[in-house]
This record gives sequence, structure tokens and C-alpha cells, in this order.
Amino acid sequence: MMVIVVENAPPRLRGRLGVYLIEVHCGVYVGTQSKRVREMLWKQVVSFIDDGNAVMMWKTNTESGFDFVTHGKNRRVPVEMDGLKLVAFHPEAIQRWA
Amino acid sequence: MNGLPPPKPIMMKERVSMLFLEYGELDVLDGSFVLVDKTGIRTQIPVGSVACLLLQPGTRVSHAAVVLASRVGCLLVWVGEAGVRVYAAGQPGGARSDRLLYQAKLALDPTARLNVVRRMYKIRFGEDPPARRSIEQLRGIEGARVRATYQLLAAKYGIKWTRRNYNPDHWDLSDTPNKCLSAATSCLYGVCEAAILAAGYAPAIGFIHTGKPLSFVYDVADMFKFQTVVPIAFKIAAKETTDIERKVRLACRDAFREWKVLNDIIPFIDEVLAAGGLDIPKAHAEAVPVAIPEKEKTGDDGHRS
Repeated sequence: MMVIVVENAPPRLRGRLGVYLIEVHCGVYVGTQSKRVREMLWKQVVSFIDDGNAVMMWKTNTESGFDFVTHGKNRRVPVEMDGLKLVAFHPEAIQRWA
Repeated sequence: MNGLPPPKPIMMKERVSMLFLEYGELDVLDGSFVLVDKTGIRTQIPVGSVACLLLQPGTRVSHAAVVLASRVGCLLVWVGEAGVRVYAAGQPGGARSDRLLYQAKLALDPTARLNVVRRMYKIRFGEDPPARRSIEQLRGIEGARVRATYQLLAAKYGIKWTRRNYNPDHWDLSDTPNKCLSAATSCLYGVCEAAILAAGYAPAIGFIHTGKPLSFVYDVADMFKFQTVVPIAFKIAAKETTDIERKVRLACRDAFREWKVLNDIIPFIDEVLAAGGLDIPKAHAEAVPVAIPEKEKTGDDGHRS
């Protein structure tokens, strides 16, 4: 099982993801392909996302039962804590009252 | 700005077996395969992850859609009433000359062919066929066993069975069990044809069946038929009266997934051909090596990428 979520992605990349996966929600793609296919798709995401950002997660035998990678600018950044992969949520860079 | 790399086929065993589509235009939007219905609703079809698409009456296909389907190795099968096949395209096949020559060599050599047929028989019935029988005799034994199996399954599901009989020109004249059976077998044929092409073999060169465009498809399908689609067809013929073809198709897809048919077809094809006892022919000595090296393969051997 794998899920790819893209934000602000160009239409051609979203179309390409739709060739192999099912878009269950805006920018959310799901499928059950192998590692090889997953890596092929992620390579395309990284190369063609432009200014957008993306995350891909998949079922695997880690402690949490899954793993994920991210690409592009996002306020959520993966961090490793005692071998467990967590996500750090960064405050907005520009504060509204400033 | 560079374009995306061309879409590539993925392995058969990673795919969903089949998808039936009806009423709408198949087109490519933003590089993705889309079914657009008459109200403008778009449904993305993950063609790259499907072994074959069965297009029912009421579909129109654009040039770009066929191009994309063939690039990702998805077989398009146009079907008529109840999913009975009319025409197929999209996955060209014939991509591997060594496999084609191998298959032809096996079919032409009487001993090899008999060995292949015997292995098919073994996979099908779970036991070795009686020794020292000709292909003709094996076919006779097989026919008798098949008729008995039909009777047995019909009795098990409590339906009235006369014989396998259908007339594609007068569809409505067939009885319900035969209609269900036709719908179910055409699902299996679509999937088997896609797998044979993906493995690099020719659908026309059969071992038990011969002389038809899909002889090898029938050979391969017969290895799975009585475990999967025949019980489904009879079960639905016994219970249902409306919309039977659709129910048969849905049940077939579930059965293909449950029996891991897409996982098994290509290994089974390799196994029966290997039973022939011949080697895959090597290129002849004076052959010129390939000028442009092959790109890394992502799909099965017979996929063009």
C-alpha cells in the first residue's frame, strides 16, 4: 500500500500519477505497487513538482509499520526520534502581526 | 523545462486484473487516462495498474488514449453483449523474437508438444495423465473429464445443465448458465491474453487448441478455468435472474484476486513451456548485435518500453 500526496503540483505530474494510482482526494493518490514502481513514481514526483511539495508513504516493516519521504517546502518536516520517524510542525515564517 | 519521461509498463503481477468501462469517451487529460461521460464527469482510470480494459458498447476511444494504454502495456479489449470479445488492441505483442521462436519450436516438435500438453493436463487436473497417449487421446480424455466436471458443478449449484452451447449471433437464445459461462470465460481470456503478450509469447500458437487466433489463450485459460470462472458462473446462474453479466464480472475479478491469477499466469506459462524440454534458441552466430542498447526494463519481458 502506498499513498502520495501532492500540493501545488503541475497538472502534467498529477496526470502522470493518475496513470498508475487512484486520486481519492484532491492531490491524494493511492495504490498497492512494489518498491520498484514506488521509486519510479517518486523520482518523477521529485523531478517535476516544481514549486510544489509532496509526501509519499508506504506500508513496510518498520516499527510504525510504514515509512515516508517528503519533498519541497512544507511546514511539516520529518524528524528522527530514537529511531522513530516523527514530524515537526514549524511555525509560520512571517507572523501576521509583524 | 524538460518533459516527464515516457510512461512505462509495470509487471503483470502488480496489476488489477481487469476493468469494464461503458458509456463515455476515453481520452487523455493532463497525461492521464480519463473516462468522460455525457454529463462531463471525469473518472481517471489507472491504466498503468490494470492488465486489461474491457470496453463495452457505448465507449469511444481517442487516439491519445490508445497511445497511452499501449505505452503502459494495458490491453484494450472491445467487447459486445455480456462481455464477449469483439476485438483487442493496445498491447502489440511480438516484442521478443527469442520467445516466439521458442514457442514455435515447441509447437512444431511432436515430442516437445506432447510434453507441454501433458504438463498442462497435470496442472489442470492435479495428476499426471495416463502414459503413452497421443495428443488426440489426451484431448479425448480431457473432453470427457470436462463434460463430467460441468455436470458435477451444475449439480453442486443446483442448476439444469444440458451442454456447453452458445450462439454469439443469437445471444438471447442461450440459457442462463451458458450466458454466465460466456461472460465469465471472456473475462478470463482477456486477462490471459494480456499475460501471454506481456510474457512475450504469441496468442495464436497453441498446443492443445490450434488454428485459432487465440489458441494459446484458450490453452492457458483452461488451466485456470475450472477453479475460478466456471464455479462463479454456475453460482450466479443458480441465484440471480437480473443483471447477471455484471454480477459475473464482479465475481470474476474477486476470484482472480483471491486466487492470485495474475501472479501465477506467467510462471505457469513458463512452467508448461519448460516441460517441453527444449532450450530458448540463441541468436545465430552471424547475428549483428543490437545497435541501441535496451533501456532498463520496468515491466515484463514482452512489454515494449
